[in-house]
Amino acid sequence: MLTNPKTLLRAAFAAATTAVLMAGSLPAAAESGDEVRKLTLISRAQAANPQQFQGAELIAQAWRKLGLDVEVQGMPRPQQSDAVWYNRDTWDLTMWQMVGRPERSDPDELIYNLFHSSTAEKGYNFVGYVNPEYDTLVEKQRVTANRDDRKVMIDRLQDIINEDQVYAFLVHPLQTFAIDKTVWNASSTVVQPGLGIKNFWTYTNIEPLGDQKDMILNSSDELNAINPFYISGATDSWITELIWDRMMRIGPTGLAEPWAAKSVEWSSDSMSVTVTLRDGMMWHDGTPVTAEDVVFSFTAPVKYAPMYKPFVNGIANIEVLDASTVRFDLSKPNAAFETSTLSKLNLAPKHVWEPLLAALGEGESAESIREESRIGSGPFKFNRWANQQEVVLDANTDHWSAPKMERWILRIVLNVEATLGMLRSGELNFLSDYTGDPVLLIEASDADGDLDVVESVDIGFQYVAFNLRRPPFDDTAFRRALSTAINRELIRKAAYNGFAVTANSVVSPALSFWHKAGIDKELPTGINLAKSILEEAGYVVEDGKLHYPAGQTELFGE
Amino acid sequence: MAYFLKRFSHMLFVLWAVATILFFMFRTMPGTPLAAFIDNTTTAEQQDALIRQFGLDKSLGEQYWLFLTNLMQGDLGQSFFFKKPVVEVVMEVFPNSVILTLTSLIVAYLFGIMVGAYLAWRRGSWVEGLGIPLVLTTRAAPEFWLGMVLLAFFSFHLGWFPSGGANTSGSDWTSSWQRVTSLDYLSHLALPAITLAIYLHGLPLLLMRSNMLNVLQEEFITMARMKGLSTWTIVIRHAARNALLPVATSFALGIGGAVGGNVVVETVFSWPGIGRLLVNAVSASDYPLAQGAFLMITAVLVVMNFIADVSYNLLDPRVRVETR
Repeated sequence: MLTNPKTLLRAAFAAATTAVLMAGSLPAAAESGDEVRKLTLISRAQAANPQQFQGAELIAQAWRKLGLDVEVQGMPRPQQSDAVWYNRDTWDLTMWQMVGRPERSDPDELIYNLFHSSTAEKGYNFVGYVNPEYDTLVEKQRVTANRDDRKVMIDRLQDIINEDQVYAFLVHPLQTFAIDKTVWNASSTVVQPGLGIKNFWTYTNIEPLGDQKDMILNSSDELNAINPFYISGATDSWITELIWDRMMRIGPTGLAEPWAAKSVEWSSDSMSVTVTLRDGMMWHDGTPVTAEDVVFSFTAPVKYAPMYKPFVNGIANIEVLDASTVRFDLSKPNAAFETSTLSKLNLAPKHVWEPLLAALGEGESAESIREESRIGSGPFKFNRWANQQEVVLDANTDHWSAPKMERWILRIVLNVEATLGMLRSGELNFLSDYTGDPVLLIEASDADGDLDVVESVDIGFQYVAFNLRRPPFDDTAFRRALSTAINRELIRKAAYNGFAVTANSVVSPALSFWHKAGIDKELPTGINLAKSILEEAGYVVEDGKLHYPAGQTELFGE
Repeated sequence: MAYFLKRFSHMLFVLWAVATILFFMFRTMPGTPLAAFIDNTTTAEQQDALIRQFGLDKSLGEQYWLFLTNLMQGDLGQSFFFKKPVVEVVMEVFPNSVILTLTSLIVAYLFGIMVGAYLAWRRGSWVEGLGIPLVLTTRAAPEFWLGMVLLAFFSFHLGWFPSGGANTSGSDWTSSWQRVTSLDYLSHLALPAITLAIYLHGLPLLLMRSNMLNVLQEEFITMARMKGLSTWTIVIRHAARNALLPVATSFALGIGGAVGGNVVVETVFSWPGIGRLLVNAVSASDYPLAQGAFLMITAVLVVMNFIADVSYNLLDPRVRVETR
């Protein structure tokens, strides 16, 4: 049923070119296909994500002007996931988002997983995009070690996504954070592109000014697990990366830097990498970190940590060279290995975890283990976790990069207004998770005088996903017309209160090296332009309703 | 004795029925427990592994049978999300819910009983004219609004109370008992408890007042007045004691109902409690946790109902005669 995307692509281009050449001069086609069915645009519920819902309303309004019958349907996240992710043949349109994570500082994770045909059936490519040209190129960039060569490919991939309008990208939101500058030295925070000041480097670097040496931050989500082999939600990873060290870490530049590794040396054929541990590394229980622990941390996930398994799949063999040196042999070169593997896997103590893993039953994974000592080797030690209340970590003063604060305390605060109140009263001194209106935060900060608000462009983005499995969304021209009809500037201003930048790429401008400059300008927009694209592709408006091109029938009507 | 046995078998039947409804309700609801896990790089095989791990690959009948047999052994299962026994997850936050609820119930009922009795005595006066509308207004105010107003005034503006949570960040305590009796805990408890008390006080107040009005019509009150007893003695010693019975019942039921937590108050004040736990469990389709927690709440409710019934039997001879 799916037309070959490549042919489609050509057809669309031909159509678009003709459109430009002959705009307005064509007579309206006399014949037409069936009326396009009523379309449902799924979104998070208004209460849960007002920006997204409002964006959806604005988009639906624009599309109605094209003669489409569009309904916005708000639903809770689990239901939305169920409708879109697990029932891939039944939905038409959905608002969706990708969030920023340190490992996403390398474009590979998103640009590969979201659009490669291998993930279309059950993985990340839930829209069902299949383009062999794209597959070939995205596989090639993965094995290209030279950054500049790879950059050329990443640019081209961004172009293809733009040409095909697989998604209608909307905005990269701005994230807002705040610190109490009477407690912390504001100039000692570290900005990480795409993540802002809420990052590992700020936590290890920030300097207290007075007697208050505890950092008190907030999360607006409940926490489910603190486990080096399991990511159960966004908040977990803020904690695990502090307790457990990694061989490398994504630095403030967005590139992987040696961390627990003293050195990381690649072989000339990029097929193996030799990693040496720092001298004198200790687990929080006082035992030394060894090469055996490293091997364990990278092999255990294959069998026991489903979420980390994809990141160690490319490792063919790990060889212990001496007490602190190991060599990773890869099954094929991987440009993102440092970012997506060496900077991603937590180093976990073999003496704690091996017996626990051995005791697991059939079908169980490390995710079902609740190991309460949470011994790592990182700059913070686990102190306690009171469910629904707080997580307390103590600074590890023996660490080579010992934090300057005494304790890191994460409070679970569900009420946005209370979060602001706490920030002003000093019950919080670092606002790390703010889901409210940024204007209110800035007003509160102005009224308070003690606060420093910091904004940054997110690695993540908001978009409309089309289900490419279902006509008319298999038609590139149709997708382009819909995307063209969206006024992103209006969404940016009205739905996001100006706290966003418009988007047309999977690679955020926050990743300045990889982002294709000016790509957001390569999508001219406007209702009339959208109408002419549809007209050129053969769609006809009759009695205010959009119809398919002649001969095409509606396969999914009610 | 037969009466107790009958009531007891009723209780068991109700629990079984509720357990069954819960079991099928959560499984037929839209959504899948997997949805809570897909934000990460979940592959097809991982999804299958999760399904097996959760036991969702078995037929519904098989799952139901397992659920019932485990339940009979007191095993509510393992939370999908927290990866530990449901009972443990619930018990972690249960005490906070109970403390919040009991505190506000006691405040609401003491206040309600006294003011209700007083308003009945002052029937037709300006006090009643002012009091009743005021009670109805506060009773009708939405909890979240009330909570936000109290928070804005007493916490943000005056700074008398903390803005959320149950303890100051990172505070240490030697035992749970020391923790919940500490000034720190109590100051965190104050605003949520007051909010809830304002929300709850209407029922006992109005109930007490109408009972009092009935009792005050009775002959023994006229008798007491004729004896020349003081107002205080008549209201408290004679009338109130008789009017109190239905209020006592509603208190017992209130405890049962309130263990279910107070999602709104818990969310506004970031108070750890069973209400928040339930909301999360339901939205993440954590079936074992949701059905286990609801079942525990049902059990408390049913038991409190039973106690209310039985105590009524003991407290009021008239009821005892009727059941014979």
